[in-house]
Amino acid sequence: MNAATIDTNIKVDIRDLSFFYGTTKALKNVTLPLHSRQVTAFIGPSGCGKSTLLRVLNRIYELYPNQRAEGEVVLDGENILTAKLDTNLLRSRVGMVFQKPTPFPMTIYDNVAFGIRLYERMAKSELDGRIESALQRAALWNEVKDKLKESGLSLSGGQQQRLCIARTVATHPEVILLDEPCSALDPISTAKIEELIDELSNEYTIVIVTHNMQQASRTSDHTAFMYLGELVEFGPTEKVFTAPEKKQTEQYITGRFG
Amino acid sequence: MMNKALYGRRKLWNGFFLTLSVLAAGFGLLWLGFILGALFYNGAVAFSSKLFLETTPVPGEDGGLANAILGSVMMSALAVLAGTPLGLFAGTYLAEYGRYTRLAFFVRFVNDILLSAPSIVTGLFIYEILVVKMGHFSAWAGAASLMVIVIPVVVRTTENMLLLVPNGLREAAAALGAPLSSVIQSVTWRAARAGIVTGVLLAIARISGETAPLLFTALNNQFWSTNPNAPMASLPVVIFQFAMSPYEDWHKLAWAGALLITATVLTISIVARVLQPKRSH
Repeated sequence: MNAATIDTNIKVDIRDLSFFYGTTKALKNVTLPLHSRQVTAFIGPSGCGKSTLLRVLNRIYELYPNQRAEGEVVLDGENILTAKLDTNLLRSRVGMVFQKPTPFPMTIYDNVAFGIRLYERMAKSELDGRIESALQRAALWNEVKDKLKESGLSLSGGQQQRLCIARTVATHPEVILLDEPCSALDPISTAKIEELIDELSNEYTIVIVTHNMQQASRTSDHTAFMYLGELVEFGPTEKVFTAPEKKQTEQYITGRFG
Repeated sequence: MMNKALYGRRKLWNGFFLTLSVLAAGFGLLWLGFILGALFYNGAVAFSSKLFLETTPVPGEDGGLANAILGSVMMSALAVLAGTPLGLFAGTYLAEYGRYTRLAFFVRFVNDILLSAPSIVTGLFIYEILVVKMGHFSAWAGAASLMVIVIPVVVRTTENMLLLVPNGLREAAAALGAPLSSVIQSVTWRAARAGIVTGVLLAIARISGETAPLLFTALNNQFWSTNPNAPMASLPVVIFQFAMSPYEDWHKLAWAGALLITATVLTISIVARVLQPKRSH
């Protein structure tokens, strides 16, 4: 890689990426950049490949057989799709929050400590501090500070999702992937999480998959519209939402299909 | 328009089959009631503290089942202690590491055969490889034989319970950078714990009534013995021996033993049922 092709504003560069479930091609030669410390939204109708694209970025798809990616995903100048890359280390740099809240069957404290303990050894007091700050960043601290020893499963859905966000930011990743993080939540919890995304984008590169047009326009700096495994349009969110270049994008955004 | 005749005929058929089903269920329950009734009636008569305090008597004398109870507890405990880790690890392999591999498919198949193998075959197998080689019957051999029955039960329930853990939980842990070993230890085992414990309890229930595998391995022992190298009494074998005998007081002890086993299995099953995780997540 020569210096000219490295743009410091680009954290992740997706180049000519295709993805296969068995023989079905789910992503077709997608090329797009993810800007550093900005929020990029992936939108598009169900089955368009937006979640698939997200799942390539931390190679979580490799948990299942017969799934395969072709092309390049360059994170800080390094292609993460090469076989020799340690996927566990990659995932410690690229965190992910899922559609359904997935608290682990352990205490609230241990839920957040789990990821930290995987790669770091520290004194109890320091760990306590990391956990408090993670829970604060996820706007959950005030609600759980008196019951850190209770099960993570005892929280409400919205709280569980914020716990999952706390768990992800606690490990200090560089990129955070959000796969429809609000689809299982009520409007108040959704608002809280959107605020959170806004705040986290000062420090992290964030990618959010969403079905909610308003959410995409409210939270993101860049938007990628996908359809049938292809990237139809990518650009600054304001432009994609107000003056889309492609007719398909306009139709989708205005609710005429999808 | 609704076809009245069609609807009427369907209602009639429904009533007919419902009646058949209820009768069939009632028929089964009736016999179960008879068996349990006879067991409690005959067993309760012979039930006393002597059962737990005295060893099996010679015909005509007073005695209890203490040596048989001890033998059953010792051999079952050994079988479960040795069989549980083996079954747990094998089941974990099937559900977590090898889920989609050919080897797992093969292991699963063999395990299913073991699960349904007649227990007398297990007894003969251990007789051949342990009793014949050691030159004598022993509690070790009895425990080994029961262990062969425990393992497939634990493998099967461990695998099934781990498969009930939603993949989302595995993804969430892996997404934090956790290697599979950490995902299993900290997350999936924990999530499946109640179900795995249930499997072990069911395995205990399964072996507590087994007679055939002990007949050629631990044999029997009239005396109080804690030596695992010697033949050892067990409840099922003593029941078998006493029930086949012509002596009235041995018959009574056999009924008492049968009641004891049934009560134990019933208790274990109820505990297992309470612990069983619900299928919804």
